[in-house]
Amino acid sequence: MRSRLQGLSRAAAVALVACLAASAPVGAEGAARTTWGDPDLRGIWDFRTITPLERPSSLAGKEFLSDEEAAVFEEQTLERLDFDRRDGGSRFDVERAYNNFWWDWGDKLTDDKRTSLIVDPPDGRIPAMVPEAKDADRARRRSGGGPVRERVLIGSKAHGPEDLGLSERCLLGFNSGPPMLPSAYNNNLQLFQSPGYVVLLNEMIHAARVIPLDGRSHLDGRIRQWMGDSRGRWEGDTLVVDSTNFTDKTPSFSGVIGAMGSGETLHLIERFTRVSADTLLYEFTIDDPHTFTASWTAAIPMKKTDGPLFEYACHEGNYGMANLLSGARAQEEAAAQSKKP
Amino acid sequence: MGNRFEGGRLAPKVGRLAFVVVATVGLGLVPFAALGQDYRAPRTADGNPDLNGIWQAVGASHWDIEGHAARMGPLPEMGALGAIPGGLGIVVGGEIPYQEAAAEKRQENLENWLKLDPAVKCYMPGIPRANYMPFPFQIVQTPEYILIAYEFASASRIIYMNRPDFESPFDTWMGHSRGHWEGETLVVDVTSQVPDTWFDSSGNFHTDAIHVVERYTALGPNHLQYEATIEDPNVFTEPWQVRLPLYRRIDENMQLLEYKCVEFAEELMYGHLRKGAGEEKSDD
Amino acid sequence: MKKRTIVVGLCLALASGGVPLLAHHAFSAEFDANRPIHLKGRVTKMEWINPHAWIHLAVVAEDGTEVVWMIEGGTPNTLMRRGFTKDSLAPGTQIIVDGYQAKDGSHKGNGRDLTFPDGRKLFLGSSGTGAPTDGSDPTEPPRN
Repeated sequence: MRSRLQGLSRAAAVALVACLAASAPVGAEGAARTTWGDPDLRGIWDFRTITPLERPSSLAGKEFLSDEEAAVFEEQTLERLDFDRRDGGSRFDVERAYNNFWWDWGDKLTDDKRTSLIVDPPDGRIPAMVPEAKDADRARRRSGGGPVRERVLIGSKAHGPEDLGLSERCLLGFNSGPPMLPSAYNNNLQLFQSPGYVVLLNEMIHAARVIPLDGRSHLDGRIRQWMGDSRGRWEGDTLVVDSTNFTDKTPSFSGVIGAMGSGETLHLIERFTRVSADTLLYEFTIDDPHTFTASWTAAIPMKKTDGPLFEYACHEGNYGMANLLSGARAQEEAAAQSKKP
Repeated sequence: MGNRFEGGRLAPKVGRLAFVVVATVGLGLVPFAALGQDYRAPRTADGNPDLNGIWQAVGASHWDIEGHAARMGPLPEMGALGAIPGGLGIVVGGEIPYQEAAAEKRQENLENWLKLDPAVKCYMPGIPRANYMPFPFQIVQTPEYILIAYEFASASRIIYMNRPDFESPFDTWMGHSRGHWEGETLVVDVTSQVPDTWFDSSGNFHTDAIHVVERYTALGPNHLQYEATIEDPNVFTEPWQVRLPLYRRIDENMQLLEYKCVEFAEELMYGHLRKGAGEEKSDD
Repeated sequence: MKKRTIVVGLCLALASGGVPLLAHHAFSAEFDANRPIHLKGRVTKMEWINPHAWIHLAVVAEDGTEVVWMIEGGTPNTLMRRGFTKDSLAPGTQIIVDGYQAKDGSHKGNGRDLTFPDGRKLFLGSSGTGAPTDGSDPTEPPRN
């Protein structure tokens, strides 16, 4: 089992831990503990950040930004994310949908000013896909045949609900994975602990991952689930959550758009460490040699917040699904009418 | 009756006594709550009754919370497996005290239940219905919060402990829950529920004025008593209660599985908008 | 093809920073860039729901009849975190909506810009709608 810092460059590892620990030092008594003696990871955690998942190619070789560079990067990003912009004509305007007050990307890089959330491999980029997996994805997208594994599918033919993305169908949140990734809003996690269990409750989409810590095996391999099946254990003060049994209907990994590989071969390892009173370090490792040529790891520091979490009842209010389908039918009708003599 | 207990001179007397006791309890003349009155649940590390675990209701109350005989289901093709079993009812006193106009609306709901029941569409069931759906749920207790994770529709709720002044800014499907302990009992005040949920599949409904107070009490190591007092001045003439036992799921390595039923409801809800469905497109 | 142009454009924007612009469904699949709308009307109802809030707006058409439009917003959760509540947009409030109409031609649109008749942005600052009273706009990033 790789240590969680192995594979980080030495500089990155030192900076990451030192920076995070310095943000609000733990008391003299040591790491906070629950009354039954486990590390206390409980609370509401905010994982907004504008640090990109992958290091931009323009910053290749540069793991950290200086304070001045970070300020510039933050400003540029916020300009790019400004949905009140008016440039680009109506085709871009319609994509900016509703105004800035609905969005909540966050406005800061991580404290250590890293240029990517990915910490392994050292280039901060997702490793190349295994050629067969890449070909399979391409063939799936070209044929338009299922399953649609993207959270949001741009340019869907929208013949039926199964042609839309998993978040558009309200099956899975677009920032809650697993693994969790910061996105447009509601980047909130509430973590509960009671003896023998940890529960991860993401705001999007209200599904609680109840994780037993008693060492039982994973579910029978025939039982496949959208959010997989998770088992937890402690390694020192770090909670390690091991997940398998994902369904082929989900990808091995996806951002908001795009999807890579099949969840069927995914082995996801997540780690939670309370590095300070106000910071929970979340790391995830994608271990899927059928899909990726190497396993890879990202680290996202989550900040304690008062919350609360709000209910995100997605399916119950999903006018969008009906609108997307009826819009597609209307377009087809219009196209058919225009072809008539 | 006498014949069943023949077999010795004492047997008929014992038999009759046993029958009377069983009948008394079984008919609810002695509330089942009395059976657990002296039980003191083990404590959690912070000194409260330990209700942690996976629990599930048994019976037909999710079909119809009032007492009812077995009846035909909506799909003849399912035959005996698709019909609605009888139920003793979980409404204390037997009948829900509807106002007259509301009783008519309930009847309309019942006659069209398949179209109207929100749970058919995989909408979250709200409180109290979530607690007697035929699916397990898990209680995870911490001093500040009690989380309940429901298998049905991956619904969940957070009970905020000892924060009586914490209000919810909007209405939600699973309501806003504030809890506190009264001795052995977890008392939960549930407000801010959307009006769109039902109490069962028989058209029993409410408005956004609904207010529910739940009481969870351990009866023994593997049983809870669940009571919910419901009031809605727009619908009912007075507050009323449901009461039922919850059974611990003691299966080896028990865990909740997924029941992400959105997938199972999509064709029903959106099939008419599918390409080639041939129906009129919806307007507004 | 229009869709592909949009995808290419967005990919170029993404390439420079790796932060995805899109949060969820492609709005161009639901709303029509060629059908801009400018509506002035009276709020009849506010649905504070996910994944999108919907403002119901009664608009008087040229012939005097009243049509109720549904205007799509974002997730109410972010606004709740800024102090709004379900009573924050009272029925009867006059607002102006600029946006794009639904592709299926129905009376729905996305609320690209929501303002009061005097030009102030909706949902920001103290406005008599029950919104937070500090008067500052919490969503604008600091600019030089």
